[in-house]
Amino acid sequence: MANATRIFPSSEVLTLARERALEPILKTENLWKVYRSGKLEVAALRGVNMEVFPGEFVSIMGPSGCGKSTMLHVIGGLAQATRGRVLLDGNDLTTMTDAARTLLRRHKVGFVFQKFNLLPTLDAYHNIALAQHIHGNGFDPHRFEVVANLLGLSGRLTHKPSELSGGEQQRVALARAIVSEPKIVLADEPTGNLDTKSSEAVLDLLRQLNKDLGQTIVMITHNPDAAAYGNRVLHMRDGQVVDGSTVH
Amino acid sequence: MIRYMILQNVLHRPLRTFITAIAVAVEVTLVIMVVGLTTGLLQDYAKRTEGIGADVMVQPPSSSLFMNFGGAPMPVSIADKLQRLDYVQAVSPVLISLNSVAALENIFGIDPESFRAVSGGFVFYSGHELQGPNDILVDDIYAKGKNVKVGQTLHILAHDFHVAGIVEHGKSARLFVLLSTLQEMTGAHDKASIFLIKCDRSNHAAAVAEEAKQLLPGYEVRQPKDLMALMTSSNVPYLGTFINVMISIAVIVGFLVTFLSMYTTVIERTREIGVLKSLGASKSYIVRIILSETTLLCLVGSVAGVGLSFALRAIIHNLHPSLPIQITYAWTVRAGLIAIAGGLLGSCYPAWIASRKDPVEALAYE
Repeated sequence: MANATRIFPSSEVLTLARERALEPILKTENLWKVYRSGKLEVAALRGVNMEVFPGEFVSIMGPSGCGKSTMLHVIGGLAQATRGRVLLDGNDLTTMTDAARTLLRRHKVGFVFQKFNLLPTLDAYHNIALAQHIHGNGFDPHRFEVVANLLGLSGRLTHKPSELSGGEQQRVALARAIVSEPKIVLADEPTGNLDTKSSEAVLDLLRQLNKDLGQTIVMITHNPDAAAYGNRVLHMRDGQVVDGSTVH
Repeated sequence: MIRYMILQNVLHRPLRTFITAIAVAVEVTLVIMVVGLTTGLLQDYAKRTEGIGADVMVQPPSSSLFMNFGGAPMPVSIADKLQRLDYVQAVSPVLISLNSVAALENIFGIDPESFRAVSGGFVFYSGHELQGPNDILVDDIYAKGKNVKVGQTLHILAHDFHVAGIVEHGKSARLFVLLSTLQEMTGAHDKASIFLIKCDRSNHAAAVAEEAKQLLPGYEVRQPKDLMALMTSSNVPYLGTFINVMISIAVIVGFLVTFLSMYTTVIERTREIGVLKSLGASKSYIVRIILSETTLLCLVGSVAGVGLSFALRAIIHNLHPSLPIQITYAWTVRAGLIAIAGGLLGSCYPAWIASRKDPVEALAYE
């Protein structure tokens, strides 16, 4: 996978990205997340600074426990930061109430999880439509059709998750994430539960979404091959972004 | 969309749905049957008393609406005084005794001639009038319930009676013997429990009642036509309390079952709640899902409960024809609303728990 990649210094990548858009869609400044358990404090994020520009496909790599998932939760508004700032499409998540972050997730963020997290009682059609329903702008059949066709789900919409393969389930999850046209898609190890073939298919789709629709994507992975699908790779270690950028 | 999701949730866990709905159905049935039975007995009593045909009833001072609780403290000679009142066509003394063996039944000790003058007489399905001291008349409902035939012997109040006839129901009691026989059996010589008065015209009943009150100060003088309105749970001591206690028990049962069911559901669906939150579902959206699901379960349970009540009534009517159960539209709706209210109350805490779940923890739930 990803044989045709070139390594650039991170400053060059940022320059390229900035040429496409002046303002980052996502920006963190000295972002900290500390978990407390009694008197014990564990810092999962230790002053993360990063920027993601519209239309980018950023992969975040790092060993287990380095804070990748925590960062995804914080930048997606699922968890509150302890210190620092998270600016998502101009909104500072760290000063927002829980209800305001809920609204922000609804309108600007699409999540894709390692375990797919589809509702088992609903078929693929309703799992995807649910996102539009929660979004609140009503069902958009045109957008739905475009997304279902793009992800090759047209023939599988009446099936429940238990009747779909892992790859198909992840495609449904991907469709659910993008059907409401979020500003950014946050994918947490989207290929972690898939075999190689299905992984490649899902990663190809992510890249296609990025290229064809200009969808901004931040993907967490510990797999270098998967990370190479992004046009920039950030490396994390011990709760910090340490280095590294890869651009196609 | 939300309705589809709730329906799928309910169908996805058929056993839980079934058990919860059955619990709600039992709750609804309990309310309907308790109210139906008490109301039915009261209304049936009033209807049967009115069915005697008397225009005015005279009972001893401070006596109950229920004739069988009045004893027999009045001398029969009062009948002669009442007979002399204006507009009075006939007066019939009746001695009432309660048969509490195997069932609670009034036995009327009657003077056939005066009772016929007041009531217009019995409609006989078989047999004949009371003739001998050991004769007894039974109404058709009693006969059907106990499988009684004319000519057979009935052992009642430690006395063997010969069934002389089977008559149409509706004359208050289901068993009738001669006044003198019942007086002898109960030691109430020349005594009566109640006097039934027939006026020459029914619109003179109020005037006769007024005259009777003046003649017998302190005595209870009632018009049977008013009994229907008087026979409500609020006019019967402690009956309202009894009904309220039974309804409360039913609500508590419904509350606990729904609470347990929805609490289990919320725990089971923790990850799904996390997914909904990640999609941007608000707390109120999640609360709405839980409460709507409860409402659906309670509605299904309520409909089943109403059906169960009618089925139970049919079975009871078949086994005990004399036991009236009055199922009213108002109470079926009320029982359903009570069940839904109890269910919603029971699911408030689970809904609150669900809405407050931390999305990150919920998504990590196994």
